[in-house]
Amino acid sequence: MICGFCHRQIEIKIGALEDGSACGSCFGGCRKVHCPHCGYANPAPGKLLARFLQLKKGNDSD
Amino acid sequence: MSVQQNSSPKVVLVGNPNVGKSVVFNALTGAYTTVSNYPGTSVEVSRGHCVIADQRYEILDTPGMYSMMPITEEERVARRILLNEDPHAVIHVIDARNIERMLPMTLQLIEAGLPVILVVNILDEAKRLGMQIDLELLQKNLGIPVIGAVMKRKTGLDELRQAVADYASVPYTPFVYAADLEEDIDGLIKLIHGDYRLSRRATAILLMQKDDDIVQLLEKQESAGDYESLLAAAREISFRRRSDLHLQISLERRKVCKRMLTDVVTQEVNETEPFAEKLSRWMMNPITGTPILLLVVYFGLYKFVGGFGAGTMVDFLEGNIFENYINPPVISFAEKNLSANWLFELLVGEYGLWTLGIRYAVALVLPIVGTFFLVFSLLEDTGYFPRLALLVDRMFKLIGLSGRAVIPMILGFGCDTMATLVTRTLETKRERVIATMLLALVIPCSAQLGVILGLLSAEPRALLVWTVFLLLVFIVIGSLAARVLPGESPVFYMEIPPLRLPQLRNVAVKTLTRMQSYFVEILPLFLFASVVLWAGKMTGTLEQVINVVAPVVKAIGLPIEASTAFVFGFFRRDFGAAGLYDLQTSGLLNVAQLTVAAVTLTLFVPCVAQFLVMIKERGIKTALIIFAFVTVMAFSSGWFLNKILMTTGWLA
Repeated sequence: MICGFCHRQIEIKIGALEDGSACGSCFGGCRKVHCPHCGYANPAPGKLLARFLQLKKGNDSD
Repeated sequence: MSVQQNSSPKVVLVGNPNVGKSVVFNALTGAYTTVSNYPGTSVEVSRGHCVIADQRYEILDTPGMYSMMPITEEERVARRILLNEDPHAVIHVIDARNIERMLPMTLQLIEAGLPVILVVNILDEAKRLGMQIDLELLQKNLGIPVIGAVMKRKTGLDELRQAVADYASVPYTPFVYAADLEEDIDGLIKLIHGDYRLSRRATAILLMQKDDDIVQLLEKQESAGDYESLLAAAREISFRRRSDLHLQISLERRKVCKRMLTDVVTQEVNETEPFAEKLSRWMMNPITGTPILLLVVYFGLYKFVGGFGAGTMVDFLEGNIFENYINPPVISFAEKNLSANWLFELLVGEYGLWTLGIRYAVALVLPIVGTFFLVFSLLEDTGYFPRLALLVDRMFKLIGLSGRAVIPMILGFGCDTMATLVTRTLETKRERVIATMLLALVIPCSAQLGVILGLLSAEPRALLVWTVFLLLVFIVIGSLAARVLPGESPVFYMEIPPLRLPQLRNVAVKTLTRMQSYFVEILPLFLFASVVLWAGKMTGTLEQVINVVAPVVKAIGLPIEASTAFVFGFFRRDFGAAGLYDLQTSGLLNVAQLTVAAVTLTLFVPCVAQFLVMIKERGIKTALIIFAFVTVMAFSSGWFLNKILMTTGWLA
């Protein structure tokens, strides 16, 4: 994904702070990807939306 | 043939995507190239050959990479090539137009001890934009060969070939970072004993960042004891710096880049400057940027979120759909089938799960945050926010913050809880405390902002009073905090990404994602709050709480019924704002009272979730001090504003 603030490419990884891409500190299942370059909190699509987008991407690339 | 190829010195091309790397590759190698997957991956790597001064070189074109710390599979492959291929020279190709943005990777390559040649490509476009780059000075500052090029026209190709042939590695002088970071890096360097393709300094930094490839490499090269000590030391550093390690390293590199580029890049005002560039400059200039900001606020927030979201959409959903079509059958069904009063009250009573929890979440808050997130995502996708950061940097310095604090402040208009968490990315403790306090005090969350804009939009004078009053509180309290809290104002700079037209798909995905997260978060909390309020009503506790709050509410000139909105506000800011909406639509407040209530509720204590995050991020003592200060400040401000309005007769 592209960071909404600095527009750099970042990887969507949700979970505890292992590689710095997400902090995982919010209770209740945080779905924010913190940009390792600028610290901006980017929203990561939920499972349903992600599945739909993946499907759309697959159709687009065909 | 193969032996001869393998024995050729290797030249590796690296750089961001879309900087003309492949053009350089083709210019060096000609037509005869091979493309194959890098072993064990599906990532393609191009190989070719060239002969310079009777010496044959193998040229490798790597996938695009942004830094030596790989995030994507392509970057991982590019880094592996640098680690494994033992290059004679590494050609780093950058886009001259984005030199400041791309130079941090050059620093990393130099820091890694690699034989770097920097190719500043697309110089013609940079010149067209009025950029003048002193390549000789840059070469002197960096201590490596720097070639200016327009590779699509093969300008600079001969110089590049010559630089490859002449390349002789010289020891580099490490770029110095902040003292505390240097201390940690030195600590790790002392524990590294093996020989590595990358310098020990680069290895130590990558280890601190938990780079898997580096960890595996160390495991192979170091003795078991040394490896364990190294891992333990790196783990300790990573844990201690868990919230900001990547960011600090990134910021330190940018500082070094800024030093390297001092007097290197000069920007002329070009008469043929593209409109996007002009608009970008206008957005950052205080004289033109302030009116642009006011236009964004007026049309984006006032007209769209306040007028359309909190007005038209809420009227339709709450006033029409819920009032006329959903609530009557639900209440009628409950009246017929629920004999127990407590159950009736729990489901459809004054604080019922349906009539309060669901109605607030679906009919009041969702349309408001939906329209807000649409505007927010639209602005975000254009690249307006980093320009806003630079615009307000000067003003933020007065209150002890830097333009970087725009990130949590902007996010605060979405949700103050998440924004409080993001204050950890600010550089100094002083900045983090000031930002946390201002978020708790002055920055309304999206739903609160939408409801207030919707309510006050019918009375522009009231909206003006609310805006001016909050701005004054923001500046006065921020300035006082900057004087009371010791420390220096941090320096802020950032590379500005290009301004672009928003992509419909991006805006839709971000808006839907934010709405989904928000709704999933608030619905259970609204239902929980309804149950607590219902239990309070049934047991009489709520009345007691309201009786405690009532004298304060009366003192600021509001009717006693307004106490409920403040009690709601304890649960969530948006819940309190929705309570204010109900009060206003019931005709209980005149214009002056509405303004006082809106100001007090905006300044009023942070919601439970924000308070918990404040404790987590700033510690219990600081969080309690901020909590107490904000409570006193909110009601004192309400009292003061009420006195002014009563005395002067404004808004009468």
